[in-house]
Amino acid sequence: MVTVKQVEDDNLVSKGAIPEQLKCPRFCFRDIRIPLYRFSSQSLLDDSPFEGHVCITEDEQSALDSLLLAQWEDKMWKGILRYDVTTSEIKVIFGRRKFIAQLNERLGMDYVPKPEPDKICGQGNLSEFQRTKHQEEFLFYVASGEMAIPELVPSAAMPDGAVLIIINEIPVEYGHVFLVPCGSDSLAQVLDTKSLEMVARFAVEINNCSFRLFYDCPTAGTSHRYFEACYFPSPLPVELTPVDTFFHEGRRGMRISAVTDFPIKTLLFESKKKFKRMVEVLVEICCQLQEKNIPYNLLISDCGKKIFLFLQKQNMANSGTLSAWECGGYFLFQSRSEFDQATEETMLNKLRDVSLDDEGFQVVKELCCSIADKFAA
Amino acid sequence: MESQLNFNIENSFDSRYSFCARQALDDLPYSFTITDPSISGHPIVFASEGFLKVFGYSKDEVVGKNGRVFQGPKTDRKSVMEIREAIREERSMQINLLNYRKDGTPFWMLFHLSPVFSEEDGRVVHFVGVQLPILPPRRPRWSASGVVRNGANLCEEGDRVCGNTNIMFGSCRRELCSDTPVELSRVLALESVLDDSSRERHSLPRAGILSSSLNISLGRIKQSFVLTDPHLPDMPIVYASDAFLRMTGYARDEVLGHNCRFLSGADTDFSTLYQIKESIKTEQACTVRILNYRKDKSSFWNYLHISPVRNASGKVAYFVGVQIEEGCKNQDRNGLCPEMRHRSVVGAVKVAVRSLSMGAGPSRS
Repeated sequence: MVTVKQVEDDNLVSKGAIPEQLKCPRFCFRDIRIPLYRFSSQSLLDDSPFEGHVCITEDEQSALDSLLLAQWEDKMWKGILRYDVTTSEIKVIFGRRKFIAQLNERLGMDYVPKPEPDKICGQGNLSEFQRTKHQEEFLFYVASGEMAIPELVPSAAMPDGAVLIIINEIPVEYGHVFLVPCGSDSLAQVLDTKSLEMVARFAVEINNCSFRLFYDCPTAGTSHRYFEACYFPSPLPVELTPVDTFFHEGRRGMRISAVTDFPIKTLLFESKKKFKRMVEVLVEICCQLQEKNIPYNLLISDCGKKIFLFLQKQNMANSGTLSAWECGGYFLFQSRSEFDQATEETMLNKLRDVSLDDEGFQVVKELCCSIADKFAA
Repeated sequence: MESQLNFNIENSFDSRYSFCARQALDDLPYSFTITDPSISGHPIVFASEGFLKVFGYSKDEVVGKNGRVFQGPKTDRKSVMEIREAIREERSMQINLLNYRKDGTPFWMLFHLSPVFSEEDGRVVHFVGVQLPILPPRRPRWSASGVVRNGANLCEEGDRVCGNTNIMFGSCRRELCSDTPVELSRVLALESVLDDSSRERHSLPRAGILSSSLNISLGRIKQSFVLTDPHLPDMPIVYASDAFLRMTGYARDEVLGHNCRFLSGADTDFSTLYQIKESIKTEQACTVRILNYRKDKSSFWNYLHISPVRNASGKVAYFVGVQIEEGCKNQDRNGLCPEMRHRSVVGAVKVAVRSLSMGAGPSRS
């Protein structure tokens, strides 16, 4: 049994001098008070990330999972969401791969351009930022903690190094949220280790196999570090596909594998020990991909134990044309006729068309090995 | 409460199979376990002598535990996931798996899993797991040619092993489905029910029966709640959590199949009942305070939230009712206020039910 220590006030938030970076006007929303979940001090990301962790038992829903589901359902109840995603029909597309299709007729009608979270924590014209509109979409903060067990503070201002969880009002699946790292180093241009560690930890503590985390690489000339997540009802096709390991350091160290026979070129990163180092390696790889203009997406699944890296081919806009869940094999259709006529072949083609080619894939695999070796040394 | 869980576990085997069946199974030299997916945590309810010998545990150390306690750091996660998927889809499978004995030593085994279907209503009542220790697979799991899904063709030994597994598995199944040692014809007839290779059971659960994977998912939710089915006459309860049974004092079989009105009594407010009925009719969620009665006739104020829950078709499949007893020393472990506790149960149930009835191919309306 896990107990969450509930603290009545936010004395834990540092009241010292505001660091230089935080004086930037983009942090004007800092005094918005919402629940705060602090991880326990036991670090998940050192040597034994997934064994004997004090707050994770598989037999019951975790505290973080309860919090996220409660907040999400509450917003649904209060009408913040544009539609009830559970009314969208889903089916498995007939075939060996078990691609999943969703009929979502509302998505097209209510389309709001994706980069909205950037206006909160990244670049963007702050005068457009409507604080009141967005405030009700904020669910809670997640931050590291000092106690032996996780803490839930009912209402707190944003602490340093927090990740802000925002509801996505046009959800792709139940529980769809944005995870926006708002740390003091948010001036960074690319995906960074701290953010990836925090969101991976989030996935581990949610401890719900339906929960997946995504990251789509930014389009050229922009940067963002926000992630997305939601609960998918069944395995994604990429998770069921066999892999071929081409790098591993010892039995419990990092393992990098290529997903075989999948229409889009995909790598899988796993590590039983030295999870932190794997995150560093992955971030370095993504930086290099960005420099080489290779669009990519990340999918974190199996409660944080697996990280898939999808590789798309270079294109004029230097941005990925598919989102991470599409790469994983989950597709949305906006019309009944498209939904009814979807076949495995069309899905395969959709993925193949954007995939990095064999040659490029070989280069990336070699890059992974050399970076992994460098960090292993 | 522990004693209720222990009772369920002890009862799981004995309520279905006779004493003779237990004896017959005890005589089989093989290593196998029987698990019950309808009990929270999907625990082992029977472990053979062969199993205890292979793993080095005593019966008391094993009954009530989930199979994952025999896994360890080197156990391949993908294999574990495949097993989980097979349980979810209620089908048989076979895989090489690394397990750990009580003394911590790891060993490879060929693991065969199969559901046991009830003769009466066709739902899965147990899973049988057979463990056959084998030499380590010739090539390591992460071989150049990729992971072999079922592990059956890794080496010649595998073929012989599979043959043996089927034989021992067949005898397990035979023992389980016969009440007493019986004529061949009856065994063959029952065998065809359990024959997983030609399983024609329709994917939609029969009236009122929940799939074992839904049972397992719902078992993780520790609050008091029930699931009712609006498509069945009189909208009966089809799932009740352990916490609900504790709160109301009823046993599970006294509650399943009945409409929730048994909780109402002399002083329950009519207008509240009407409000609930109207919400259900319009497929809306509602929150009410209602006076309810336990089995022992004592009353309590129930802070109740009811919400429709949809499955893959997008249509309402169930209603979930979440109960919070007012005034009770609500030991909420997650630090959430009552409204939020309602919501977290609704969310978890919605996620669990969302994948139900996900058909393949052209959509049905």
